[in-house]
Amino acid sequence: MTKPAAGSLAGMLTMTKPSAGSLASRSTWVSTTSVSSSGKRIQREMVELNLDPPPGCCAGPKGDNLYNWVATIIGPPGTPYQGGIYFLDITFPYDYPFQPPKVVFKTRIYHCNVDSAGNVSLEILKDSWSPALTITKVLQALQSIFTKPDPYNPLVPGIAHLYLQDEAKHAELAAEWTLRFAK
Amino acid sequence: MVSDSITNASIHAAPNNNNAARDVGKKKRARSAKLKQCKLDVRREQWLSQGAVKNKDCKAEQNGVVEERKDRNNRHPFGNLGMRPGGGENDGSIHHHHHHDSDLDSNSPNSLTSSVLGSNYSETNFTGSSSSSSSSSSSSSSSGGCCSGNITEDDEGGGDDGCLDDWEAVADALAANEKPKNPCLESPPEHDPIAQSGSPQETTIGSDGPSFGVENSKSQCARTIPKASGNGLAWRPDDAFRPQSLPNLAKQVSLPNSNRKHYGCGGVPWAYSGVVSAPSTCPICYEDLDFTDTSFLPCLCGFRLCLFCHKRILEEDSRCPGCRKPYEHDPVEAEASVHGGSLTFRLPRSCSLITRS
Repeated sequence: MTKPAAGSLAGMLTMTKPSAGSLASRSTWVSTTSVSSSGKRIQREMVELNLDPPPGCCAGPKGDNLYNWVATIIGPPGTPYQGGIYFLDITFPYDYPFQPPKVVFKTRIYHCNVDSAGNVSLEILKDSWSPALTITKVLQALQSIFTKPDPYNPLVPGIAHLYLQDEAKHAELAAEWTLRFAK
Repeated sequence: MVSDSITNASIHAAPNNNNAARDVGKKKRARSAKLKQCKLDVRREQWLSQGAVKNKDCKAEQNGVVEERKDRNNRHPFGNLGMRPGGGENDGSIHHHHHHDSDLDSNSPNSLTSSVLGSNYSETNFTGSSSSSSSSSSSSSSSGGCCSGNITEDDEGGGDDGCLDDWEAVADALAANEKPKNPCLESPPEHDPIAQSGSPQETTIGSDGPSFGVENSKSQCARTIPKASGNGLAWRPDDAFRPQSLPNLAKQVSLPNSNRKHYGCGGVPWAYSGVVSAPSTCPICYEDLDFTDTSFLPCLCGFRLCLFCHKRILEEDSRCPGCRKPYEHDPVEAEASVHGGSLTFRLPRSCSLITRS
């Protein structure tokens, strides 16, 4: 899966290389094509993620397009999501490091921060986004909401309510959904 | 045979030009390939025997060469007519060069000027030689020989002139270098002759030659080695006489960290003393940080980024990526934006660095 992506990345590198040389051409390069800038950043993130992936996560470009990734997060042990494999689509905007990536769950999950369409409410993917954050940090943050849901900023208020009222019942339902959708 | 003819031609031309050059004065120096060959031999011998042989032997060899050259010049004092019996010791291609000599005799000033031009403008060797061959209306074979002879002659002459000029420059440079070096070496009588004898072969090395020659001679004077820098450098890093044009890379590599802190006159003095070591690439766009970027500290949290990403962030939400605080609340940045000039923009940066360190 990563093999053709690496080839296209190499082509992208050679494309951006002459423009990255001098200061003058670099300024025009940034202003005209932010695509190449974000491409280099995404490529570097992919390399670093493959070198040192966080446990239970993996991510990479879906196909030739560097801006569409697919990620998998394994349900952390000790949670009702344990043993589940959750697929996520990550879409990088073309001004990526300055705008957060869009993360969508493709696997159904019983979670108060993930709605039925798979949208995620995560602070660092919205207002708390920083260009210094990487996709590795995003994956780690997504893993953290598996272990600690945030019922006070819910996307599905019913699940958040149940989590606050009856956590055992919530865990039971979440484990059932995990068995149904994520295995 | 070709090489014989070439050397022949140069031998023929050299004394003639030597005499002419002495008449003309500063205009032209010796351009003999033979002389250069002798000098190269001497240099090689000097180079090989520098560690063991006394300097006076080398000087004697040099003098011998000079005397030999003078002898050769005296043997053929009358230019080409005197040259012919001298050149007769070579065989084969000599006939061509008798033709060539006669051609040179017929229009020797022309060939002389052309060769002078060719040596002055060393890139235009071929035009000079072609003009001389065209002006000397000789047979095709002899003109061909003449052409090749002129080409090599001019090349050798140009190189030889460069060597001679360099020799003087290097001698001057050595003499200039002796003065700062003597106080730390403490052995000028031992050091000077070595440097002088070593100077001829430095001419082939180039402008870096004197330092290496001094290095070699220093290794001979065992007493002076501890006085020199422990890293084997020709100049100590804090030496005031160290040329600014010397590259800093070797010294940065060879110097330990303790020296590096004392020696803060590098390009980025605060880069070593700063609390946060500057990253080599921008963490936002992963482009390499240049000098301006590494000296750019936009936020007090110490998060560094390149100027392009900083400008981009200022256009959008203008919050520092490291601490998520707005950039405008930074008093340093506010001052810079108030004054706006590049000088005042540079000043707050150093101020913030001072407050950090």
